[in-house]
Amino acid sequence: MLEGLRSPNIHTPQNLSEFSSIIQHYPTSSFWAGGTYIMSRKFSYPSNATNEEIIYLGSIEELRRFQRNDRVAEFGSMVSLYELITTGKTILPKILVDTIQSFGGNIATGRITIGGSLATRDFRSSLPGTLNLFDASCEVRYMKKKRMHSKWFSLMQIYDKSGRLNLPANALISRIRINLAEKSFQKFLVRGEFFPHSDNAVSLAVTGNLDQDNFNDARLSLTYPDYGFISNHDLDNTLSSARFPLDQSESRSVEEAILEIAGATFPHLSHLQKIRTRGLVREMLNELNINALTTTSIEDTSSNI
Amino acid sequence: MKVDCIIDGKSLLLNLNSNKPLSLILSEDIQNPAISSHCNGELCGLCVVLMDGKAVLSCLVPAFEIRGKSIITFDGYAKTKNAKDIEKAYELMHIRPCPTCYNARTLLIESLLSNNMTSREEIIREMECVKCHCLEYNDMVRIVQAANEIRRKRHARRS
Repeated sequence: MLEGLRSPNIHTPQNLSEFSSIIQHYPTSSFWAGGTYIMSRKFSYPSNATNEEIIYLGSIEELRRFQRNDRVAEFGSMVSLYELITTGKTILPKILVDTIQSFGGNIATGRITIGGSLATRDFRSSLPGTLNLFDASCEVRYMKKKRMHSKWFSLMQIYDKSGRLNLPANALISRIRINLAEKSFQKFLVRGEFFPHSDNAVSLAVTGNLDQDNFNDARLSLTYPDYGFISNHDLDNTLSSARFPLDQSESRSVEEAILEIAGATFPHLSHLQKIRTRGLVREMLNELNINALTTTSIEDTSSNI
Repeated sequence: MKVDCIIDGKSLLLNLNSNKPLSLILSEDIQNPAISSHCNGELCGLCVVLMDGKAVLSCLVPAFEIRGKSIITFDGYAKTKNAKDIEKAYELMHIRPCPTCYNARTLLIESLLSNNMTSREEIIREMECVKCHCLEYNDMVRIVQAANEIRRKRHARRS
C-alpha cells in the first residue's frame, strides 16, 4: 500500500433499502457500477480523489432485472451492455444493438453497465443519444428528508440543454425504460474512438419513417463525448422538412444547418470533430437518398405491373 | 483491505488498497512477469487475464472485485493443454503475434474458443481490444478458426 493513501471503504448493499441506509450514513460516497470509466481515467490510481467511501452497486438484485412487453423494455441500471444485447438482441431496435456493439467486444461490454454509461458526469457515451431517440425514461432514486424517493424522468430531463448530466449528488438511476416502436430508417454512425481519444470522436444516431419522399418522425442526435449530446426539435426539423432524394445544394444546406446547431450548442468542438460531423451527416443523407430512390423505384415498378 | 483470491491456482490473502487495479496487483504485489504494462487509462489491451474463465482487462478490475475470484494469467495458462492448442494453431498458420501482445492475444483466443465465438465478426470485434497492429484481421480469424479445429479434434479423440 502506498504511504499516505487511505484505502477507500467499499460498501456492498444487497438491496435498495440497505443502499438507502448506507447513503444516509455516508452522503458523500461515490457510486461504483462497472467501474470502466473510473478505472480508465488517467491517474485513477494512486489518487487522493479516491480516498472516500465507495458504494458498489453490483450486488443489488433490483438493479439487475430485465423486463419487457410488446411496447416497452425496462432494464435495471446494473444490467451490463453484454447482457442487454444477448438477452434482448431479437427485440431491441437495430440501432441500439449497433450503438452497444460500437463500445467494443464482450471484454468491454461485459463490464459497462447501462446505468453507468448514462450517469458519468464529465463524459458522454453514445448510448444516451441513441436511447433518447426511443423516448427513453429512467427511474431516479434520491434522498429527501432522510427518506428515499423515486421518480420517473424522461432522459432529456436528467441532462441539461447541452446534454450534461443534471442529477443531484446522491441520486441513483435505478431503471431505464425504452419504447420498442421500430421505424423504417435507423442508422448509427461513429467516427473516432470514444475511449481513450474522446476529444476527436463523434457519433450520430438517426431514426424515422421514410415514406416516399418524406422523412416522417425524424429524430436525430449527435454525441460529442467530452461535451454532451444534442437532440432537439431544431435538429429533427432539418430532416423532417426536407424532400428526399436531395440534390447537392439541398444536401449542403442540410449539412450547414446541422453543423450550425452543433457549433452553437458546443462552441469548442475540435476542428476534426467538425469535419467528422460533416462526414457523418453526408453519409446519413447519402443513405437516406439511396433509400428514398429505392423505395420510389420499387413503387414505380409495382404500379407499372 | 484484505483480499482472498486464487491466482494461477494458488490461494492468496493479500493486503491491498481496495481500488488498486488488478494489473498493478499482478505486477507489483505478485511480481507476475506476464503482466508488464500498466497503460494508465490508455486501454492498450495488453493486460488481459481470465477472471473466472472470462477475459477481462486487468487494468479495469479493482482489488475489491477480485475477492473470491479465480484469476489466470498467461503464466498459469501457458502450462495447460488448452494453451498448446493455440500454440499449434500459430505454428500451423505460420503466423504469430509479436512478443508485446502475444500473452494478451493468446488469452483472448482462449476466451473466444471457450465461449464458442468463432464467427469472423465476433473474432474481429473481440481482438480489436488489443491495440497492437502486428496482425491483420484475416490472420486473426485464421488462427482462431485453426485453434478451434485443433481443440475440436482433441476433444473428439478424448471422447
